[in-house]
Amino acid sequence: MEITFNVLLWAVRIGFLVLLYLFLVRAFAALWREMRTEGAVALRPSGLAFLVVQRTHAGGPRSGERLPLSAVTALGRDAGNDVVLNDEAASARHSIVSFSDGEWWIEDAGSTNGTVVNGTKIWQKERLHYGDELTVGRIGLRLEQA
Amino acid sequence: MIRTRAAPRFAELRLLVIVAALLVLGYVAVVASAVATFSATPVVVPVTFLALSVGLHLFLVARGTRGDQLLLPLALALTAIGLIEVQRLAPERLALQQLTWCCIAAVAFVAAMLVPRDLSVLSRYKYTWALLGFALLISPLIPGLGREINGARIWIGLGGLFQFQPSEAVKILLVIFFAGYLDEHREMISSSPKRFGPIPVPPLPYLLPIVLMWGIAMIVMVFEKDLGATLLFFGIFLAMLYVATGEAFYTLIGALMLIAGGIVAYQVFGHVQARVDTWLAPFDEELRFGSSFQLVQGLFAFANGGLLGAGLGNGMPERIPIVWSDFVFAAFTEETGFLGGLALLSLYLVFVFRGMLIALRAPTTFLQLLAAGLSFIVAFQTLVIVAGNAKLIPLTGVTLPFVSYGGSSLVTNFLLTALLIRVSDITARVRGGP
Repeated sequence: MEITFNVLLWAVRIGFLVLLYLFLVRAFAALWREMRTEGAVALRPSGLAFLVVQRTHAGGPRSGERLPLSAVTALGRDAGNDVVLNDEAASARHSIVSFSDGEWWIEDAGSTNGTVVNGTKIWQKERLHYGDELTVGRIGLRLEQA
Repeated sequence: MIRTRAAPRFAELRLLVIVAALLVLGYVAVVASAVATFSATPVVVPVTFLALSVGLHLFLVARGTRGDQLLLPLALALTAIGLIEVQRLAPERLALQQLTWCCIAAVAFVAAMLVPRDLSVLSRYKYTWALLGFALLISPLIPGLGREINGARIWIGLGGLFQFQPSEAVKILLVIFFAGYLDEHREMISSSPKRFGPIPVPPLPYLLPIVLMWGIAMIVMVFEKDLGATLLFFGIFLAMLYVATGEAFYTLIGALMLIAGGIVAYQVFGHVQARVDTWLAPFDEELRFGSSFQLVQGLFAFANGGLLGAGLGNGMPERIPIVWSDFVFAAFTEETGFLGGLALLSLYLVFVFRGMLIALRAPTTFLQLLAAGLSFIVAFQTLVIVAGNAKLIPLTGVTLPFVSYGGSSLVTNFLLTALLIRVSDITARVRGGP
């Protein structure tokens, strides 16, 4: 009787410690999960729409990468652009994508090699529709809805 | 706060199930060790605690509270450990008193979730809160109202029964005031301060509160003989100043001022001298069974614990005087060992880390500073008392948050948790996240 009681009591004591660590592990896991999902949530609202990389080359953006667009987005090789394209054929500031009056617009920013929309080089500010393909330097991009 | 439909909080619920099991096991171990058999009689404490946990969880669900689901389970886990320890260590009537305080703390938590409906009231009336805090701080010095217990004049008593430690509530009021004040003067952060060589000269809006706060900290140390509160108030203030300005130099000035004040106080005042002496040489012939007896017994308790501990209810923590308030960490570590102590500290780590994350993500500067300051309260207090127990710094009488026996402290910590959850709720609504 005495022995059974002692064994049981120790089981309870060890159980307490085990539970304490179980709680700790779960709390850490919850913290970790929340940090990851909240990070994803923080990214989402920053893009009104996306430019999805279609064609690329080594050193450029990954194929299929979604580049978020804000109301005005500058594209180019320079680090000061909102979307930086690591491509020798792209100019320092290549083109500007903007959203106004409920429409997407694209404008060449005086680039050397020009901005091409759906196979045609643009000479002025042009409308962009979802699904349109642009070429900036050697990189192909497609406008997609958020 | 926008009223919304009830929203489930499954992560919180899952954690609370573990907390409930934790309390029951710990409680059974402690009670069974005391009476040497398993008995079903003392069910009041576990049942009440479980009811409180479920009640608070359902309240948050019914309110549609979004955001953090970690803080409530953490706070309740620590409170559960506190209840187990009080049952283990303190005289019988204190356990029931602590349970009563748990209920009051739960009510305070609910109240703080509801009032004020808009948290900006806190920043708008910041000087009112500061004044209220100062009044509370000096209230124990009023003859007739103040009480001196265990050498510190930090209590106010009403009648013979009710005692309250106002410095606990002052901590939250101070954080609210600092957050509002530093937020109001935040434009000065971006403008670089004038410099004499490498030394930045703080603009007056920063210099003034540093000096004022230092003065208040010194008053607390000298007249109320409360070294722990001195360290806490000033530490919280310096941490928030650093968060707001990013200027480490202000913190350095503040720390130097505190050290200078401490050295002068050591020379002049007996109670400061006694604390430092017992810290430096607790095993001294004259002090061993005198003023350092508590500290020495605490150190023996740590040593007795070892890696796995003596087993909950099986140690000898009752040999430490007043173990249930100041030395609860030593007692817990003796009976659950290094593993238990480590887990307890990790719980605080997760709590503070969570608080800091809430601060980082909060949408306004005021809410950021508020959440950071509230997290600092828990961090500093844990650090000061655990380091004091372990003879790393001179022992000062602050409570181990949620765990130590003590009503004012428990209520304050639940208020603090409620405010953190509200900040995270606001953040979740602004961001449109979960």
